[in-house]
Amino acid sequence: MSKLARVSIPQAIAYRGGQPMTAWLLHRLAGIGIVLFVGMHVFAGFILYAIPGGTANTVANALTEFYEARPMQIFVLFAVLYHGLNGLRIVVLDMWPSLHRYHREAMWVQWAVFLPLFLIPAFLIAIGAKVG
Amino acid sequence: MVTQAGAARRSRSKFELYMWFFTRVSGILMLLMGAYSIIYANLMGGRGVMDAGAELRWAFFPISFHVSSTDVELTPNFQNPFWQFYSLLLFAFAATHGANGIRVILKDYVRHPVLLAWLNAMLFVLWLAIMGAAVYLVFAAQGA
Repeated sequence: MSKLARVSIPQAIAYRGGQPMTAWLLHRLAGIGIVLFVGMHVFAGFILYAIPGGTANTVANALTEFYEARPMQIFVLFAVLYHGLNGLRIVVLDMWPSLHRYHREAMWVQWAVFLPLFLIPAFLIAIGAKVG
Repeated sequence: MVTQAGAARRSRSKFELYMWFFTRVSGILMLLMGAYSIIYANLMGGRGVMDAGAELRWAFFPISFHVSSTDVELTPNFQNPFWQFYSLLLFAFAATHGANGIRVILKDYVRHPVLLAWLNAMLFVLWLAIMGAAVYLVFAAQGA
C-alpha cells in the first residue's frame, strides 16, 4: 500500500535515495520493460504464425526484427537478469528479516553476482559466439 | 457483526496477500526453470551448437521456434510434449507475475477510481488474450 505523494518531477529527480532507490527504480523499469517488449514479441509471433497470411504482415515482421536485434536481446537480458536477482534479494530479506541488518551489503553482493552473469553472456551475444 | 466495507477490505487484503505470495513463488520458480532449461539445452545436444542468444531465448521460453535458427535437431529433444507443457507453465507464471506487477504500478499512480477500474479491466483482458496466444503458439503452431 503506497501512499499518494504529490511531488513535482524536478523534486522527484532531485531526491537522492542512493542504492535502495536505484534498486527500486531499476526493478520497476526492468519489470515494465519486460512486460512491454516480451508482450509485444508474443503478439507479433501470434500474428505471424496464427493468422492466415500473417507471415507477410509488415507490422509483425518489423516488431520481430526489432526484437531480434542484438542490442534489444542484450536489453532484455539486462532487464530479466536484474529483475530476477533483485527479486531474489528481496525474497531472501523477507524470508529472514534479521538479515535486514546487512541490506546494504546484500545490494553489493547482488551487483557482484549480476555483473559477471550479465556482462559475459552480453559479450557473447554481441559477438554471436557459440557456447557450451 | 461485519460491516460490508470491512468485509470488502478484508477480502481485498486477502487477495493482495495471495498475489504477494504468488509473486515470490513464481519469481523463484521462473529462475529455477530458466536454469533447468539452459542446463538441459546443453545436455540435449546444444553444446557447441547454440549461440548465447539462442540459449537465453530457450531459457526464457523453451519453445522450438526459439532455437530453430540454430543447428540443433529439434525432434525429439527440443520439440515434445514435455517442453510444450513446461513452456506453457513458464509463460503462465511470467504473464501472471507481469500482469500483477502492472496492476500494482497502476494502483500506485492512477488516482481516479473509475479510470483505475477500467485500466484493470483492460489489463485483465490483455492477460487473457496473451494467455490464449501462448496456448496457440505452444500447442498449435509448433513446427509452422
